[in-house]
Amino acid sequence: MSNVNAPPSWELFHIPDGMKKISMVKDTKIPNAATFTFLKEDHTLANILRMALLRDPKVLFAGYKVPHPLEHDFVLKIQTTLDTTPIEVLRNATRALLQEIMDIKLKFENEILMYGSRQLYRTSVDIAF
Amino acid sequence: MSPTELKRSRVQLHADHVSNVSSMDFPGTVTTGDGDDDLSWSLDRFKQSFDINITSLDPMTLTFDMINVDASIANAFRRIMISEIPTLAIERVYVAENTGVMQDEVLAHRLGLIPIRADARLFEYFDPASQTATDLNTVVLNIDARCERNPAAPDDTVDPYQKYTHFAVTSADMTWVPQGFQAEAFAVNPIEPVTRDILITKLRPGQAVKCELHCQKGIGKSHAKWSPVATASYRLLPEITLLQPIVGAAETEAFRKCFPEGVIGVAKNADGEPEAYVKNPRLDTMSREVLRHPQFADKVRLTRVRNHFLYTVESTGIYDPHVIVAQAADVLIEKCKAMRKALVEVTQLGVEV
Repeated sequence: MSNVNAPPSWELFHIPDGMKKISMVKDTKIPNAATFTFLKEDHTLANILRMALLRDPKVLFAGYKVPHPLEHDFVLKIQTTLDTTPIEVLRNATRALLQEIMDIKLKFENEILMYGSRQLYRTSVDIAF
Repeated sequence: MSPTELKRSRVQLHADHVSNVSSMDFPGTVTTGDGDDDLSWSLDRFKQSFDINITSLDPMTLTFDMINVDASIANAFRRIMISEIPTLAIERVYVAENTGVMQDEVLAHRLGLIPIRADARLFEYFDPASQTATDLNTVVLNIDARCERNPAAPDDTVDPYQKYTHFAVTSADMTWVPQGFQAEAFAVNPIEPVTRDILITKLRPGQAVKCELHCQKGIGKSHAKWSPVATASYRLLPEITLLQPIVGAAETEAFRKCFPEGVIGVAKNADGEPEAYVKNPRLDTMSREVLRHPQFADKVRLTRVRNHFLYTVESTGIYDPHVIVAQAADVLIEKCKAMRKALVEVTQLGVEV
């Protein structure tokens, strides 16, 4: 692979040494606002985070962008009400998301089991009659 | 349905545009006036409203409905199924002999796209730094195909499959060479291509393909060959509302013809006249043909239910399709957990909040 100029495939998920997954810069002009940079993440996570943040009444603003298409990072801007902080609402949002997705998984696996047993029942009825 | 509710929960289709596309299920966007405008999220409320219905499941394809989730969650599942579930695929091809017409690199590319049935959860990623292949990160397959004239072929045949032996090299020619723990771990489910009839290349007498194939673990993000799905997609549930009755033989027939077969049914109403009714909106393609007819434009409303997603997941055969969805949930859960861990580090480093 040394004779091609393609970027190495691990660039999509490998965080360079000494860098942190999430970094935060506090906004100097807007009260209770901060910009978070997430390394090696894409729209998948960015969009569900934005959605989870907007569901929180304490969040005044939440938006994300992918600054460059060839860099696998995104930035997320959050402004909150004065009784909380951007990092606090972000933490709450991730907890809510985790609960939600775990519930989706549980429900899905349940439904698959139930579908399987329904099919089994149907075939056994077919055989019986 | 109240106009606010319609705006909040439905995407509306008009003759020349689509309106109310984005979700408004956030606090502060809608005031319904009946005291029910608390749109902040709670797990209990979510558990009550969320629903999944499996509509069909076979070894290759799964269709199901996911109801009452935000589009971003639905889309995260779709994106992860396509690009972030690990599988095994041929990553390195060591060519000992290739005298056929197909060049080495084209052959290697074709081989890479063949789905290999092996549970990637039992393997590790190949470490690019150490470049060491072990039984934990590499599966070895062999191809040794040599084309010869078939002495038993009838004299008058022109069929190359009869005239020559090994005229076509297919995925059936790939043989697994177990390494280390693999022989025991995969004794019941031996590693092999998902289907045995994938044509790789064709040979003429005297030509041969002989190579060693190394499969590695990877994700669809870095190359589509690692994607476990042929397609994973969703669409919103179509909804057709008749605002005024459509009555009469000619009218109902014209109306029925505006939609795909089976969407609109016709039944006798109380007066004994034929009247159109919505039979199965799921089958509708939302072509909006009906809005082109002036006599129907005001009698029907086409909408899509914004939080009702109809998924179709078609596996490449490596995993069962429902396993792919469950794994997508696991990947998403891992992402959230990794993020929570990283968030702790952000504060621990003493950044002023």
